[in-house]
Amino acid sequence: MSTPDSPTERDDPDDTIDRQDHPREWDEPENNRTVPSERENINTDTEKNDARKIVTGEARYTADYHERFPELAEGTVIRSDIPHGYVTDIDTSAAEGMDGVYAVITPWDDEVPDKLYSSSGQSYPEPSPWDMNVLRKHVRYVGDPIAAVAAEDSETADRAARTVQVEYEELDGVFDPGSATNEDAPQLFEPDDVENKQSGAEYERNLESHFEGEIGDVDAAIEQADEERVVETEWETPYQSHCVPEPHTTIAYTDEDNRHSFITATQVPFHTRRQLAHLFDVPIRDIRVTKPRIGAGFGSKQEMAIEPIAFALHLKAGVPVKLEMTRQEEFTALRFRHPMRMRMRTAVSENGELTAMDLYALSNSGAYGTHGMTVANNVGTKPLPLYPRVPNVRFEGDVVHTNLPMGAAMRGYGAPQGHFAVEAHMDEVARQLDRDPIAFRRDHVVRAGDLVRNSAILKDGDRFARRIRSCGIEECIDRGKDAIGYDDLEQPEQSHRHRGVGMALIAQGSGVSGKELGAAQIMMNEDGSFHLQVGGVDTGTGTDTTFSQISAEVLGCAPEDVVVLSSDTDLTPFDYGAYASSTTYISGMAVKKAAEDAKERLLDWGSRMLDEPVSVLETGSGEIYSEETGASVTLEEVGYEAIYGDEKREQILGRSSHSTDESPPPFGAQFVDVTVDEKTGEYELNKLAFAADCGVAINPPQVEGQIEGGEHMSLEYATSGSLDFEEGQPKTHGFRQYGMPRTTDHPPMETLLVETHEPTGPFGAKSIAELPTNGVPPALSNAIRDAVGIRINTLPITAERIKQALDHTD
Amino acid sequence: MYTMQVDLAINDQQEQLDASKSDSLLDVLRKQGRTGAKRGCDTGACGFCTVLVDGEPEKSCIVPAANADGSTVETIEGLGSQSDLHPIQQAFVDNFALQCGFCIPGMIMRSKALLAENPDLTEAEVREALSDNLCRCTGYKKIVRAVLDAADGVDDTSTSVVADGGHLGVSNADGACGCCHDGGDSE
Repeated sequence: MSTPDSPTERDDPDDTIDRQDHPREWDEPENNRTVPSERENINTDTEKNDARKIVTGEARYTADYHERFPELAEGTVIRSDIPHGYVTDIDTSAAEGMDGVYAVITPWDDEVPDKLYSSSGQSYPEPSPWDMNVLRKHVRYVGDPIAAVAAEDSETADRAARTVQVEYEELDGVFDPGSATNEDAPQLFEPDDVENKQSGAEYERNLESHFEGEIGDVDAAIEQADEERVVETEWETPYQSHCVPEPHTTIAYTDEDNRHSFITATQVPFHTRRQLAHLFDVPIRDIRVTKPRIGAGFGSKQEMAIEPIAFALHLKAGVPVKLEMTRQEEFTALRFRHPMRMRMRTAVSENGELTAMDLYALSNSGAYGTHGMTVANNVGTKPLPLYPRVPNVRFEGDVVHTNLPMGAAMRGYGAPQGHFAVEAHMDEVARQLDRDPIAFRRDHVVRAGDLVRNSAILKDGDRFARRIRSCGIEECIDRGKDAIGYDDLEQPEQSHRHRGVGMALIAQGSGVSGKELGAAQIMMNEDGSFHLQVGGVDTGTGTDTTFSQISAEVLGCAPEDVVVLSSDTDLTPFDYGAYASSTTYISGMAVKKAAEDAKERLLDWGSRMLDEPVSVLETGSGEIYSEETGASVTLEEVGYEAIYGDEKREQILGRSSHSTDESPPPFGAQFVDVTVDEKTGEYELNKLAFAADCGVAINPPQVEGQIEGGEHMSLEYATSGSLDFEEGQPKTHGFRQYGMPRTTDHPPMETLLVETHEPTGPFGAKSIAELPTNGVPPALSNAIRDAVGIRINTLPITAERIKQALDHTD
Repeated sequence: MYTMQVDLAINDQQEQLDASKSDSLLDVLRKQGRTGAKRGCDTGACGFCTVLVDGEPEKSCIVPAANADGSTVETIEGLGSQSDLHPIQQAFVDNFALQCGFCIPGMIMRSKALLAENPDLTEAEVREALSDNLCRCTGYKKIVRAVLDAADGVDDTSTSVVADGGHLGVSNADGACGCCHDGGDSE
């Protein structure tokens, strides 16, 4: 095995080819790598550009636009109250006869398309199966939309909805993913019911997808290993709700040019436009999707979940329609993190090398297949790259349907489940081999220079293998250890209380490899300010501010001199949308390139005005200046001269789009300090520490905010969040039944940023948004193992589970 | 469907608003354009709609409009403006204590009531007082810090606070909240 200090000296037979396709050195523009003293606007604390309107209550979210529509109707959806069956009759007569009711729609209405589609806001063609209709005659979970009402106000719409009578032919349901593939299990789909491009579907067995990939020969490696050095573990994770602050909300209307417009809470305006166009047979150009402020998405709004219902209601009612989900719908009918069961097996040789990793995931897709296979794929392809030099790796998965709500995209996208299995497993292996869990992982962990193949284990060929060009994971470990006091832990005085520390290593991606596109345009005003039009979608994370900083760093103005308009399908260039941690990395690079395009024109004008060659000119502090003579001209002077000049005139414009196969992983180390009471199983979190390598942090406090918010979701996943059902009937209807952590549930959190430079990212940046959602479950399981010697493998980790495990070992 | 009128003193302005019997205070505020308070659950479980009714923080989605008749109501619209922020708003901006922002108006109104009652706060007291207001984006750390900073700032910027209503009188006397350093986020 190579030593940690010389990762680039490995003798790899495939290395020559790898160096060509996945070069270690990246041909990076000179301006992309800066030292702190050269930075004006990046890696600096910059006020979030919507902060003032948020704290004054002036920020407008979709529902706040109601004033613009005097005739606005409000919608209510009628949903299945049985988990499985056929709708045989819908009696809407009472609702239709009510005063103030404008429209009632059912699956049999002309305005309601009868086509199959996928609600997943993915690139075209969506990898998710086309398996749903806008309104459903075959209902497959409690919450499936059957009909909808539009009325003069929400009170009337609700009252009318309650009068709609639905008759069903009930069918047996299947609720356990473990038995869903049994021969005698009730079947959710006939194969003809679905257009599915995913691998391995067998709808006769409720199997949405099966996938597998292997590097080397895992069975042979395990066969060769000493039996005691082969460790197998099993893991289980529950449903998790996004708890998205702003419920899904859409306003659908048609303007005076007969173009259909949507103000909607979405992460994917351009995908939504395309999907609506296809579903309703309308030209793409005749649909406009506008994203106002978004009350966060976390993946739940990477779904065209309600826009088609709002549109059909609008078409029938003939007036603008607002459809706003209730919290109960969010908790029962919308979208969730897929529950999973996982099995992990590894072999370690006599000299301590990891020779094989074998991971299996069974994902419960629920009633429909949106993001079913792709989320399950990420269970392996996100955490396994932490250990890229293991020669034999296998990853398999099954994605099954049950009569429960559908899983979908949720921040982390399979990686939270996968990290629980992989990182708690690695800790267990180390402890069983009597190794320090951190030292053991250090021996195998990813390093700069590595070529990661297991990130592409499910793909043919090596196109999507990944060269690691920035990796601060070792420093994340060091700084996290210090912060948590790893080597210096004081035990409580009472003998029944035990303190322990656990760590999990974490990786994510920066966008979807080879399936991203961002675009931007920047225009200069007379006064030296700029308008940036960018497809990238700020869902509340602050990427509009990030874009303004990147633009300012290139153009030499201040971030507040860049007015950002993001993601309106009529007004901005294209973007795939805010998902897969792509916005800073992909859309941010499009912004940087657009700004550089504008800068070329800027310098040309500077050269003319200063009478010096472009080669000696630079921008900064609101000026173009000569690095040779020190002469300068302000951006405002250039702006006026370019637009109103005597001899020559132009508007200074820049534009660009950006796409890449690269998706450099950000890295992190999550530490948890816990005290466990061995009598009761109750535990107390003393502290969380998270160290992150996201390349260069463009706006450090925003990055900290991402980390702390991600840890919040991860803390919930580890300790308190899950949905309960009885025979398919939801028992979790709101925040009161769901365990979303409150201010008083959070332990102290220490956040550490470890800077590296990612040459493929804008000014060295990688992603951050999803990374911190992955760490608390494995780190807490590991900390409890450290404290009291038992292994908890099921989430959420409750006192009851700990007590049971402790009793079991007695 | 308006069937009654409610008289409210909203942000120092006397107003008579139309309401239906089933309307909540949140409904009437939002219908007449005060959209700062947000609808997050309609069951009083998230706190996004928090406003002050006769000085007390209330979840306006579960206050029947009829019951609010005759009350004094303070909403986020009555605090500072974008160019002249109230100290609590300023502290939220300065501390990056917001992301999507949907919970923030409610969080700020709750904090205003808290600081009016007791500006000399420990971190634990802030956490306890804000525990009915959910936030999904921030992990609460920067929000708690902002409220403690606002409490501290009361002393330094007493003039502007007094000008803004004058509820906030006393600062955190020792200034040692222990929250303002990485890692020392809790008591």
